[in-house]
Amino acid sequence: MSLIARQMNVLIRASLLELYRRKDLVVVFILGAVLLMPLAFATPFGFSGAHIYFNEMALLMVWFFSVFITLGVSTRMFPYEFEKRTIYPLLAKPVSRGTVVLGRYLGALSASISALVLFYAAYIILCGVRQHVWFSEVLVQAFVLHVGLLMVITAIGLTGSLLLTISANVTITLLIVFGMLLFGAKLPELADQQSLAGKIALYIAYAVAPHTEFFDLRQRLVHGWPAISWGVCAVVMAYAAAYSTACLFVADLLLRRKKL
Amino acid sequence: MSVIQLEEVRKSFGGVQAVDGLTFEVKRGEITGFLGANGAGKTTTIKMLLGFVTPDAGRIIVSGTNPSAVSTRRSIGYMPETAWYYPWLKVGELLRFYGGLCGMSRREIDPMASTLIKRVGLSGAENRQLKTFSKGMLQRVGIAQALLHDPEIYILDEPFTGLDPLARIQFRDIMAELKSRGRTILFSSHELSEAELICDNVIIMKSGRAVWNGSTEQVAGDGTRNLERVFLNIIGSDTGMEA
Repeated sequence: MSLIARQMNVLIRASLLELYRRKDLVVVFILGAVLLMPLAFATPFGFSGAHIYFNEMALLMVWFFSVFITLGVSTRMFPYEFEKRTIYPLLAKPVSRGTVVLGRYLGALSASISALVLFYAAYIILCGVRQHVWFSEVLVQAFVLHVGLLMVITAIGLTGSLLLTISANVTITLLIVFGMLLFGAKLPELADQQSLAGKIALYIAYAVAPHTEFFDLRQRLVHGWPAISWGVCAVVMAYAAAYSTACLFVADLLLRRKKL
Repeated sequence: MSVIQLEEVRKSFGGVQAVDGLTFEVKRGEITGFLGANGAGKTTTIKMLLGFVTPDAGRIIVSGTNPSAVSTRRSIGYMPETAWYYPWLKVGELLRFYGGLCGMSRREIDPMASTLIKRVGLSGAENRQLKTFSKGMLQRVGIAQALLHDPEIYILDEPFTGLDPLARIQFRDIMAELKSRGRTILFSSHELSEAELICDNVIIMKSGRAVWNGSTEQVAGDGTRNLERVFLNIIGSDTGMEA
């Protein structure tokens, strides 16, 4: 194994141990299970189409909890290193700051994906018990794109953690993620109604902000619509990879300039 | 042969001159104590030796190269002043973490880690997370992680802080053993008696400058002086405390 691969391996492993030993995931998972599991069995007023609403609610919770876990892991890594001064023995080892950024990113991402697998497992059990549908192509695509979303959120959270306090970083990242999820697709339409300056500002925001709406297949999953093309999935994942790379490049620059 | 060289090194932070024309060298196989009052510039110098901080002027050579190069740090074992490590890890896991960062394989790390855990007196605490460790135990963990990859040079920031008398004796023995194997040690300390016991050379810093740089024999002079007396004569004059 090469030096960088060994360094990545230990950085990823440490992040996973942190997530599971801090028990944040256990708390969120139990909360999720308590909220989700009754939905698998409830049939209010005998209304046969109710499963759609429960399905939507369950997916919303999966999204919310996964974003919460991802932000929790990615935004506190570097602030903790600086606050507790663990950054000194870390950087005193023969490891470049770029490797530390990439290793911490992959660590946070692995931890978030492991949590996502648990959330989707709970969701599959919910759908299986309720609708007797255990597997669908859209479900796989939704999971893959959800991983892409976590790639982007982890990169933003990690980069922001080198600039902002944890609370400011979490607030801003949440606003961006859910703001773009709700209004991202409508930005060009909104821009066209503005004066020139407003139009330019909104188009810049459209170009720079992460398009979290690209990763959202919830409606397709809830209503049982057909799967999208895997080519589209690949393009969206390539977008996630490119956006994350750009963020990590900025994070590397920030860590190099950070006063130790 | 010098393994650490500083020539006219200067560093200021926002108008405060932390290090002001510092020049000294540390020879291979020697133990050098780096002493001085709080704010004398010891920690800034150590940060420059590790490449964490770039000097404004002057030249620093560690192990023949620039300390900011990643490869230089292969030959350095560093123990930080404040012993904080990842509290959710166990000591063996922490050593595997740092060993992996040094490029060691699990097969290399595990026997070394178990030897070091015994050597620093942490046997029996292997299965506890670091959050349950006392300050002294964390200091021992710090010693173990610095020794793990068997580097040529040791840079230790206040290594005796928080250690009980038994651990101090153990650590002195470790330093003597490292010296016998030709390793070089530079450590900062406020523990003058410890420094006098184990150092070959002593550097005393004041206001960012090395105001005393000599062997412990020179400190003793004709036998009427000791390090505390020399230190008070140099540093204490500003504070009204004199030997």
